[in-house]
Amino acid sequence: MFKLNLKIALRNLWKNKGFSLINIGGLAIGLASCMILLLYIAYEWSYDKQYTNADKTYVVYQNAPANGKIFSWAWTPNIMANEIAVKIPGVKYASHASYTSSKLISVGNNKISSRLNFADPNFIKIFDYKFIKGNPDQVLKDVNTIILTKSLSEKLFGNEDPINKTIKLENQEVLKVEAVIEDVPVNSSITFECLAPWSLFIKREPWAREPNWGNNMCLTVVQLKDNKFLAEANADMKGIYKRNQQGNTAEALLFPLTKWHLYDDFQNGKSVGGKIEQLKIFLLLAFCILLIACVNFMNLSTARSERRSKEVGIRKAIGSSRKSLIGQFLLESVFITLISTIIAFILVEVSLPYFNNLLNIGLQIDYKSISFWGTLLMLMIFTGFMAGSYPALYLSSFEPIKVLKGLKIKSDASVSIRKVLVVVQFVFAACLIVCTSVIYQQLRYVKNKPIGYNKSNLVQIAVQGKMGNNSKLDLLKTQMINSGAVTGVTFFSKDITESGNNTTDVHWQGKPAGESILFNNRGIGSDFIKTIGTELVAGRELSTITKKDSNSIMLNEAAVKMMNLKNPIGAKIGYWGVEKTNIGVVKDFVVESAYQKVAPMIFYPSYMDDVQVIIARLNPNQNISSSLETIDNLVRQIEPDYPVNRKFVDEAFEGKFQNEKLLGTLSNWFGGFAIFISCLGLLGLALFMAEQRKKEISIRKVLGASTANILTLLNKDFIKLVAIANVIAFPLAYIIINRWLSAFEYRISISALPFIIAISLSVLIAILTVSIQSVKVAKANPVDALKYE
Amino acid sequence: MIELKNIEKYYATKGVKHYVLRHVSTSIKQGEFVSIMGPSGAGKSTLLNILGMLEEPTYGSYEFMGEDVTTLNERKRIELYRNHIGFVFQAYHLIDEMTVYENIEAPLLYKKIGGSERKSRIADLLDRFNIVAKKDLFPNQLSGGQQQLVGIARALAAQPSIILADEPTGNLQSAQAEEIMNLFQKLNKEEGITIIQVTHSEKNAQYGNRILHIADGVIKEDLVV
Repeated sequence: MFKLNLKIALRNLWKNKGFSLINIGGLAIGLASCMILLLYIAYEWSYDKQYTNADKTYVVYQNAPANGKIFSWAWTPNIMANEIAVKIPGVKYASHASYTSSKLISVGNNKISSRLNFADPNFIKIFDYKFIKGNPDQVLKDVNTIILTKSLSEKLFGNEDPINKTIKLENQEVLKVEAVIEDVPVNSSITFECLAPWSLFIKREPWAREPNWGNNMCLTVVQLKDNKFLAEANADMKGIYKRNQQGNTAEALLFPLTKWHLYDDFQNGKSVGGKIEQLKIFLLLAFCILLIACVNFMNLSTARSERRSKEVGIRKAIGSSRKSLIGQFLLESVFITLISTIIAFILVEVSLPYFNNLLNIGLQIDYKSISFWGTLLMLMIFTGFMAGSYPALYLSSFEPIKVLKGLKIKSDASVSIRKVLVVVQFVFAACLIVCTSVIYQQLRYVKNKPIGYNKSNLVQIAVQGKMGNNSKLDLLKTQMINSGAVTGVTFFSKDITESGNNTTDVHWQGKPAGESILFNNRGIGSDFIKTIGTELVAGRELSTITKKDSNSIMLNEAAVKMMNLKNPIGAKIGYWGVEKTNIGVVKDFVVESAYQKVAPMIFYPSYMDDVQVIIARLNPNQNISSSLETIDNLVRQIEPDYPVNRKFVDEAFEGKFQNEKLLGTLSNWFGGFAIFISCLGLLGLALFMAEQRKKEISIRKVLGASTANILTLLNKDFIKLVAIANVIAFPLAYIIINRWLSAFEYRISISALPFIIAISLSVLIAILTVSIQSVKVAKANPVDALKYE
Repeated sequence: MIELKNIEKYYATKGVKHYVLRHVSTSIKQGEFVSIMGPSGAGKSTLLNILGMLEEPTYGSYEFMGEDVTTLNERKRIELYRNHIGFVFQAYHLIDEMTVYENIEAPLLYKKIGGSERKSRIADLLDRFNIVAKKDLFPNQLSGGQQQLVGIARALAAQPSIILADEPTGNLQSAQAEEIMNLFQKLNKEEGITIIQVTHSEKNAQYGNRILHIADGVIKEDLVV
C-alpha cells in the first residue's frame, strides 16, 4: 500500500504541475528562510558555549552608581582576580585578562597588525583552547613568551614549526613562541589572534603593577567548582569593593559567561536583555514564515479537495479505513516536504554567502553535526504534519455516499476556513510591511539627525608606534596641510565614533553633595572645531600650540546644563585633582549612541594625554584617492613599521546602526519572502476559485456581462479578505512597533504612512496575483465551459 | 443472507418529513440475483445504499449474515466491505490516478493479501475479462464498457459474497450493457455470488431471478422470474 500511495502521490504531483510548483516552491522558500534564520539564531545562541566548563564560568561585572543611574560593565581592578581566588568560596579559578587590542607583530620583515590579549595562566584553564603544539601547563608563565593561533602562525611562519622561534612585539619586545592553538571560535566574546602573559603587560605598562581598587582596567573571569556555590559567591562579591577601598560605592557581581553576549544590556545593575530580544524576533519570524508556507499548503490541498473527494469515496467503499486515508494524505505532505527540503537546501547553500556578506558573519551548514540533522528532521516532520494535518483530516472525513452520488461537497465550511487562512497570511504580511517601513523610517531619522559635526569627507588615522610623539604629530600635521590633500587636521584622544574614557572625578561649585556624575573626557588638538565642523557656542578654543592652556578646559553644552552653570566661561572646575578654568562651550556632538542624548563631555589639550587618532578633513577640490595616497605616504614616512590604519568617519559612524540595519535588512528580506509565499497561496486559491466558478462565469457572460464586470466579481472577494487582514494587522503592528521604538530616546512618532503603504501594497499585490488567473477566465469563451455539462 | 424489517428512511426539512422508504421488509437469500426496479425518485438507490451500509435507515432493523448492522461500528463495517461486499457503480468510479492493474489491486491491499496471491488473483481477473493488454492504462484511456469491466473486476477481486450494483449499465451502449449483464448472470450461476442491482431496464431485470418493484418508497411487487 505504501508503495502504491507513494506512486499515486507522485502521479498527482506530476498531473497538477502548476499546483505542485506553487506548493513545493512556497514550502521550499519558507523552509529555506526558516533554516537561514535558525542558523543565524544557533550561531548567536552558541556564543561562548564551546568551552568545557562554560556553564560554570562567570564574568565579573561592576555596578557603579553615577548620574542617578547605575552603570554596569565588565571592567574590574587588576587586584580583583587574586582577591576572588583567595576569599570567595567555591571558586576554582579566577583570572584576569586585558581586553584585546591591535598590536604590531613581526617576524623579520613580515609585519602584521594582529589582535593581542594578555592573560595569566589560569585563563587557559578556564577557557580550554585546543592546543596544537606546546604544553598548556607551561604557557603564560615566562615574561617574554607568546601563544599564537593557527592562522596567525601560518601568516607569520608559513608551514614552519613556530615553537621556540621568536617574534617581535611593537618592535620592542622579543617574544618566544611557546604554543600554537586552534583559532578562537568566531562566536566568542573574547577573541584574539595571539595571547601573551600578564607579566608582559605589567612590564609594558608599569602603572598596572600597583594593586588599585579605584582603577577598573581589566577583565576578570571566574570559574566555580560547582554552580551550587553561585548564590554564596555572589553574596560575597557584592561588597568586595567596599571591603577593600573606603568610599568605593561600586558593587561586583558574577555574570554567566554564556549569557554575556545575548544579555549584556544592564539597567539598574540587572541584566534586562540585549541581543536576545532581536533573536526572539527572528525566531518568531522564522516560525511565522514556516507557518505561512504551511498555511499555503493546507489552503491548496483543501482547495483541490473536490478532485480528491471521489478517490476518498471509492477507497472507503472498497474497504479503506479513515486511518489509512489520513496516513495516505500525511504521507503525501511529508513527501512534498521532503522535496521542498531538498530544494530549500540548494536555496540556502546558494544564498548563504550573500547573507554572510550582508551580516558580516560566517554562517555555514555543519553537515557533520548530529544536532543539525536532528533539527532538520524535526523541522521536516513538523512541517509535513503541520501542513498535512488539516487536509488529511478534512479530506478523509468525506462520506462516501455523498461523493459517489455525485453530490457537490458542501464547501461552505472549507471555504471559510480557507478564507481565514488567507486572512492569517495577510495579517502577517501587512504587519511585516508596517514594521519594516517603521524600522527604515527610524533608521533614516537617526541617520539624518544632525550629529553635531560634519562627518562626510572626514578621515581618521590611528596613531601607532613612533607617531605618538607630540613633535612627530605636529610635524605630520604640518606636512599634511602643506601637501594640499587636507584642509584641516586635529587630534583626538579616542576614536571619534566610539565611546571611551569617562570619569566621575569632576567638581564644581554647587555640585550636589554625595552625587557622582559621569563625564566623558577627551583630549583635543588645535583646530579641532574647524576640522570636524562643529561650533563653538561661547568662549574660545583651547590652544595646544603653547602650553598656556594646561589649566584650561572646554565643556560641551550637555556638561554646562548638567552643572547648571549660569556663566560657563571662566567657571572653575575641579578635574583630575586640579582646579581648571573653563574657557569655551562646544556644541553637543555624538560620539556614543546616536539614539541617546549626548552625554556631558570635558575637553582638555591633547598633549596632556595619549593621542589615539588624527582627524583630517579632505580637501574638497582634490581627487579623493590621490589625497588619501598622499596622506598614507606621509604617515608611512613618519612610521614605516606599521600598516596605515585609516578610515572614513562616516563609514565608521554607520557601525552604530549595525543592529538596526541588521534588523531592517532581515525583516525586509524575510518579510518579502513571507509576502511572496502568501501571494503564491493566493494565486493557488484564485486558480481554484476561477476553475470552480467557470460555469457561473460562462453563464454570466452569455447573459451579457463584460470582461470588466467579471474581473470585478472575481477580485472583489480577495480584496475584501486582504482589507480585513489589514484591519486586523494594524493594531497588532502598532503595538509591536511602539514597543520596539520605546527603546530609543530619539525616535520618530508613528505616522499613518507605514499603514497606508501596507494596505496599498498588499491590495495591489493581491489584485495583481489574482488577476493573473481571473483575466484568463474572464476572457475565455463561455462555450468551452458550458458544453461539458 | 439479508433480512430487512420495517425499514424507513425520511429526510426532515423544517419539521416536514419527506419519506424515501416506508415499511420495507424483505429477505434475500444467498445466491439470489435481485433486480430493484421503479420510476425515478422511488427510493431504489436509497434502498441499495442502505443494503450497502453507505446510508443508515432512520428506523427499522437490518441483519446482514445474521448480524444486526444498524448498530455496527465503522471498523466492523469496513471489515464487511473488505470481505463480503463488492460495489459496482453507474459512473464506474475508478480511481483516476491508478492504472487498471492498481485499481483492481487496491481492495486486495486493504485486505492485506500477500504479494504472490495478489498477483495471481489479478492475473486471473484480467484474463477472465480479456483486459490483460489494458492493465497499464489509466481509466480515462478506456471506453465506458471497459471501465465498467474493470469496476466489476475490482468488485470481484476481494471475492465478495454479494455484489451491489447501482445501474451498472446506465452509462453504456446496449451491446456493452448486454455483455455486462451476461457477465453478472454467469457470476451468479457459476460462482453463486449474490447480486443485487438497481435498474431502469425491464430487459436487464430479466437476467436475474427476482424483481422488486418499488414506487414511492414502498415495495409494490415482489416477482420471481
